[in-house]
Amino acid sequence: MLVSDLRKEFYDVIKGKRILVLVHSDIDGICASKILQSLFRADHILYTVVPVKTRSDLVSAFEQHREQARYFLLLNCGGCLDLVDVLSPPEDVKIFVADNHRPLDVCNIYNGDQVRILSQLGEDEEVPAFEDVFREEESEDEDEDSDEEDGKRRRFDEETLERRRARRQWHQQRHKIIFDYTQFSYYGSSTAMLMFDLAWKLSKDNNELLWWAIVGVTEGQVFERTEQDRCVLATGTLQGHVSRLNHQTQDSQPLDCLRITFEKELKLALYRHWSLVESMRHSLYASTTLKLWTLRGEKRLQELLAEMGLPLVQCRQLYSGMDVNLRQDLRSLLEEKSEKYGLPDLLFPSFSASRGFRIKVGSADYVYSAAALLEPPQKDITPTAAALDVADCLAVGREEVLERGIEGSKQQLSAIYRQVQTFLDMNQVISAGPFLYATVIQGTPDAWFFSAPHCLTLLARFTLRAHVSVSRGRKSGALPLVLTSPDVRAAQPDTCLVCGIPPTSEDSRRNFFGKAFEQAAEKTASRAELEFFDTNIIRLSVDDRSKFFDALISLLS
Amino acid sequence: MLSEKALELIKELDRSKDGKLPAFNEDIIRKVLEEMNTLFQQNQRDVGEAAAGEIRYFPSIHLRHAALDRNKRCLLAYLYNRLERIRAMRWEFGSILPADIRANLCEPETQWFNRYNKNLASYMRSLGEAGGLDLTQDTKPPKNLYVEVRCLRDYGEWEVEEGDTVVLQKDTTHYLPLAACHHLIRQGVLEQVE
Amino acid sequence: MSDNEEDIIEGSDEEGEAMTASEVLQKLEEAWITERMSPTLEKHQSELVDCMLDQINQMSENLKRCKKYDFRLAIHKMEIDRIRYVLSSYLRVRLEKIERFAHHLLEKQTNLSNEDLSILSPQEAAYAKDYASSLEAHFQNLVLQHVPENLRTFDRGKMSVKPNLDSYVFLKVKQATPGVLLEDDTGEGRDEEVDFKEGSQYLMRYKPIMELLQSGAVTLI
Repeated sequence: MLVSDLRKEFYDVIKGKRILVLVHSDIDGICASKILQSLFRADHILYTVVPVKTRSDLVSAFEQHREQARYFLLLNCGGCLDLVDVLSPPEDVKIFVADNHRPLDVCNIYNGDQVRILSQLGEDEEVPAFEDVFREEESEDEDEDSDEEDGKRRRFDEETLERRRARRQWHQQRHKIIFDYTQFSYYGSSTAMLMFDLAWKLSKDNNELLWWAIVGVTEGQVFERTEQDRCVLATGTLQGHVSRLNHQTQDSQPLDCLRITFEKELKLALYRHWSLVESMRHSLYASTTLKLWTLRGEKRLQELLAEMGLPLVQCRQLYSGMDVNLRQDLRSLLEEKSEKYGLPDLLFPSFSASRGFRIKVGSADYVYSAAALLEPPQKDITPTAAALDVADCLAVGREEVLERGIEGSKQQLSAIYRQVQTFLDMNQVISAGPFLYATVIQGTPDAWFFSAPHCLTLLARFTLRAHVSVSRGRKSGALPLVLTSPDVRAAQPDTCLVCGIPPTSEDSRRNFFGKAFEQAAEKTASRAELEFFDTNIIRLSVDDRSKFFDALISLLS
Repeated sequence: MLSEKALELIKELDRSKDGKLPAFNEDIIRKVLEEMNTLFQQNQRDVGEAAAGEIRYFPSIHLRHAALDRNKRCLLAYLYNRLERIRAMRWEFGSILPADIRANLCEPETQWFNRYNKNLASYMRSLGEAGGLDLTQDTKPPKNLYVEVRCLRDYGEWEVEEGDTVVLQKDTTHYLPLAACHHLIRQGVLEQVE
Repeated sequence: MSDNEEDIIEGSDEEGEAMTASEVLQKLEEAWITERMSPTLEKHQSELVDCMLDQINQMSENLKRCKKYDFRLAIHKMEIDRIRYVLSSYLRVRLEKIERFAHHLLEKQTNLSNEDLSILSPQEAAYAKDYASSLEAHFQNLVLQHVPENLRTFDRGKMSVKPNLDSYVFLKVKQATPGVLLEDDTGEGRDEEVDFKEGSQYLMRYKPIMELLQSGAVTLI
């Protein structure tokens, strides 16, 4: 059931009761849960928060806690699964779902009572009509059964035949509709934004909650999950909130509080915490456009810096060590030169936060840091502990966690860059017909970084853009990429993670690999685990890899 | 040097100021007592002679007496200081001490601890008219009725109020009434999130 | 407290006047601060303690009967927690001092002529006695039994700890008191006389103002 008024049908319902929150280990989900936690604390609603990473985590967590509460809330997980089927909740349990994964399962949308969906569906998301998907079948079934039992004595009268034909046709229609509906998986609007809206309607919003909503929305931008126009809309709404909550001047407020500013930001990853040159090298956009892994690319970069008047020595040292005048003019200088060097989108509207006398941190920096904390380079941190780390890095007064994340993110980005360089130097991105294909070789020391969903996706996007920028033909721009990497973090040996991303030439961010992987796995009976909520990533046994890919190729050609 | 062993006892306690109680040092105590007895006997011998008028024994008698006094003082100080620490543990850990601390107490100290427990319990019971007041609770001024806690290790089910239970799994976060989880926070199973 | 604001409770002033609950709480908080700041054990206030405990129990009972209106319930619960904290802290501080000065206090107790002048409440006196005897028994058992005969006695005089009445305290003057005599502790005969004005604050030794504290002319802060 779709919920339209979050306040009446969700918040007022759970006041005074206990609620169990199952949150997916992604940044948007964790931000949304932090916003909700602060709302719940204000109203003394008892809650329990459990982080989950995969489908089996969700099911086992639900099993463990099913006796404990009557209300469950699923954040960014479970929307695309038939929840009543998968979880089999007891009669009096109500499950609220706020998921930014699409398409939402039709059983969840049309469920009468137990499953309530809080996410708002956009206008461009078409859900199949109820009649097309569900149908009163009881009387038909009885006839069907009695027909079967009678066996030889089949009735050939017109009516039954007509009904049977209509039924078959309806079933075929339904199959097609469902296939079209679930073929492409994509992302809706951010859940953290939804929760901030709720806080605003309850008049309990403040700058902290707004910042968490901003980080949640920025995750969609950085990982290129949300569509462009939705991004723009979200940014516009957020800007309205920012100006509402931040219009007082510096003097009238204590210096320690959070101030959010809206400004044009450079699309360079972590440039405030790194040196300018390093940051350019490791950012997806700048690096692939200037081709910084080649000698020519390096020369062009030096040309660019020289034209802007930035001394090379300073660009190579930490950003905070650069001359103050240079830092202030950096944005305008880059803007001037961006056209000439083919970097038109180098500046994009974004938000940054400053507190007291600390340096300003951008929302993208938070996203990178949190992504690194979720998939840490240390081997002894469990996924649930990592989720708690992310929650900590967003909290006030825990700057050391944010710093740790930024260092981890630098390691991640360096590993990605090295791997892309290897791919391109050794020509390991091969065309397999309907898509491009690349493998991270078993035994690569950096494989530890890539055995995790966020990092693997980043690597895939970097590889695809880099390959497209160096390849001579036009074709590669229209091909999607499938990347596989050995899964060294998994419990079972000899598994690999497979990730598929859409081609660069397409604007739409819709991804058909979820369905494609599922079908290929079925056809070849491979040992594949479709465990992740981001369906474009699956875990596959290494032995089945070749037949899986053959099936995939034949499916997509 | 006389009284050296007794000083060792004091030094041992002084070095372990970080709260851990070292094992009861029966060995050294026995040695100190032996020394005291030896000194006393020597004194007895000399006193006999001194009473007979021999003045030259006076200084040695004084010296030994002073050493005896010092030994006694050191011993009593050692015992009293250990008792103070044990008492502090009652207020910190509750009426049952962790096993590793219990191993460091000698038998009379354990008995003293039990007696202290009983005494304290009967005093607390006698306060007011309706069953008394537990003074070991409420050690900090109350800030909030409910508190957000994180679970540090798997603990299983825990009853919060009448009827409601919570499953305490590692790395889950909960928002519970302070009264219910105060005990677990002290034990280290839950950690308060600021 | 709003429910019980009008309740008149049989608090025991010397004149037998009844006090309201909030007055009792006020006095209790004053006694708590005094006890924490003072180097020695102050007179016991067991009537106030019993009174407040009663109050708390009554309030808890009332709250149990109330339905779950979150807001008021939370505030009342917080109030009960706060009062209980003040009580606990007060009694704990007293217990600590009793344990430290056990022998000294018991000696003073036995020398008392009048029950009413006792600093310890009856329960505290029983506690102190038991504590002192447990200490002695422990020492006897472990050490004194094995020591040579002439040292076997437990010299109460030497072993007892006396409170340091010369430690410095902050105080605030409630009633103007002219002519307070401050004895000079360096023995050079430079006694001073100070006039205490109402509302002024001083930092001085505890001993000279001990009686003024007991009569209520000054309070410790």
